[in-house]
Amino acid sequence: MREYFEHTADIGIRVICPTLQDIFVEAGLALFELITEKIIDVKPIQSVPIQLKQKDRDLLLFDWLNQLLYLFETQHWLFSRFEIILSVDGLEAVAYGEPCDSQRHPPSHEVKAITYHQLKLEHQSDGDWLAEVIVDI
Amino acid sequence: MERLDETRWKIPKGYRPDMKVDGIIFADDVLIDSIRKDVAPEQVANVATLPGIQMASIAMPDIHWGYGFCIGGVCATDPDESGVISPGGVGYDINCGVRLIRTHLDYDTVRPHLRNIVETLFRTVPAGVGQSGKYHFNRSELRQLMAEGPRYLLKRGLATESDIDFTEAHGRLDGADPDLVSDRALDRGAQQCGTLGSGNHFLEVQVVDQIHDEAACQTMGLFPSQVVIMIHSGSRGLGYQVCDDALTSLRGVPEKYGITLPDRQLACAPVSSPEGQHYLGAMRAAANFAWCNRQLLMWQAREAFASVLGKTWEELRMTLLYDVAHNIAKLEEHTVNNRQKKVWVHRKGATRAFPPGHPEVPSQYRGIGQPVIIPGDMGRASWVLAGKPGSMEKSFGSTCHGAGRCMSRTAAIKHAQGRRIDKELELRGVIARARSWKGLAEEQPDAYKNVDHVVEVVHQSGISTKVARLRPIGVIKG
Repeated sequence: MREYFEHTADIGIRVICPTLQDIFVEAGLALFELITEKIIDVKPIQSVPIQLKQKDRDLLLFDWLNQLLYLFETQHWLFSRFEIILSVDGLEAVAYGEPCDSQRHPPSHEVKAITYHQLKLEHQSDGDWLAEVIVDI
Repeated sequence: MERLDETRWKIPKGYRPDMKVDGIIFADDVLIDSIRKDVAPEQVANVATLPGIQMASIAMPDIHWGYGFCIGGVCATDPDESGVISPGGVGYDINCGVRLIRTHLDYDTVRPHLRNIVETLFRTVPAGVGQSGKYHFNRSELRQLMAEGPRYLLKRGLATESDIDFTEAHGRLDGADPDLVSDRALDRGAQQCGTLGSGNHFLEVQVVDQIHDEAACQTMGLFPSQVVIMIHSGSRGLGYQVCDDALTSLRGVPEKYGITLPDRQLACAPVSSPEGQHYLGAMRAAANFAWCNRQLLMWQAREAFASVLGKTWEELRMTLLYDVAHNIAKLEEHTVNNRQKKVWVHRKGATRAFPPGHPEVPSQYRGIGQPVIIPGDMGRASWVLAGKPGSMEKSFGSTCHGAGRCMSRTAAIKHAQGRRIDKELELRGVIARARSWKGLAEEQPDAYKNVDHVVEVVHQSGISTKVARLRPIGVIKG
């Protein structure tokens, strides 16, 4: 499950999933749903490998979203599908999508940055994982 | 919160045991009510815990919840008292700021051409998500640009001496070290110098609507019904990345220097530490980049006006009134506890407002005080103010930076459901063009406090004085 929560000037992403792996997938999708109007119009026809080293899970989530944002900003990648393998010291992932085409992918928000402000990643008592990340708009 | 006077409220030092100074919020009875409901005062108190903070953790009436530091805050630290520098106190958008350009045109002359002007601006000024600019700089050119600021653009025929004279700090912070700007930041910034961006950034055509200080208007070259252009943008992806890099490299650093922080986003390092110096070198380079960005945006606006009206921008007298930064940290001289000292003033969503006579105010304005440009919202107004003597003692020579949001982005979208914001604006005499419907909805006038009200508070409190009110007639947004 992914949703957005209120923050005065910015936007919060909240994801709740049964596995940590799903948290990373859903958070990635939530990021691109902020950037472009309809993520369904992003065809997962090309792939980009991503490797990240980071032992702290919450910082790994931060680095993951940050890397996706960087790929959008510098190479205009939009992604709509992810395969992720988490390990003790980081993650290996393949992101599927296509370069942004402003005709087919109407812009929605310019995400300036992923912030550490109230960054949250926790295993809840009902067994689900919860993550909250505020992005700077 | 204790009331100090008509426009100031105090969060006493004892509110948190680790506060080193009081928190001071500039607001009147009405604004303080809405501020109390926000998380921002808590953040004012958090900032008061930073090592080396001087006098008070200060917030302006346009204060609202930010990440780490609130938006609308001023914090000065003394490097000689283990003072810190904090990227969060500057923000992601390093040297986000505003510039105001005069024309010699009045509203009646422009009105028949306004739609064409707005369309031309919308077509030619790159704005919105993922848009690249028309100016391209290779790595070595970008480094020169960051070292020199708009003076580099002068050599390329994209700026004039007068443009530089009327930019805060002449568009160049000393000590900028482009070699400390990461490749990632260069990648993000390479194609973005001369692009507006998105969010609350804009380019507006405005009309001088009210004159509040005739003498100051005369000095600033403002007259009733005059058409002016306001540009609000910052350092684009390059600056966001410099901030991000700094926050990453500061992971674990506060602990190393024995600093305990109430919020991870307040990450900081002593000014004198290698980590602090590294951030300062990169931050100043990003600030210079931002001044170049606004310079190139102004250049494109001049070209658009010239092409529609069939005259050169010089003939249209499109000269820069002033350019101010409102997300920046600068080393400035201030008097604290009767002692003159050099402090690092962090302004995050606050504008420098130096008083008459200050040596850093351009000589043309030295008699009236530094021009302060306050963007409001796209339906109501923006303002030109001037710095007043009280600002030095009360707020480290600072004033507000805008209207301040009062509605979250998600709430604004809900509020805009089923409405055509562009049509509503047109009924108010504003032609608005935006690349994204959501962008326009989130920036609708109702999402902001009334800028007239915010400006009244800073005027009453004596930290800046009202000069002229501006009314939007054309809006370009990302």
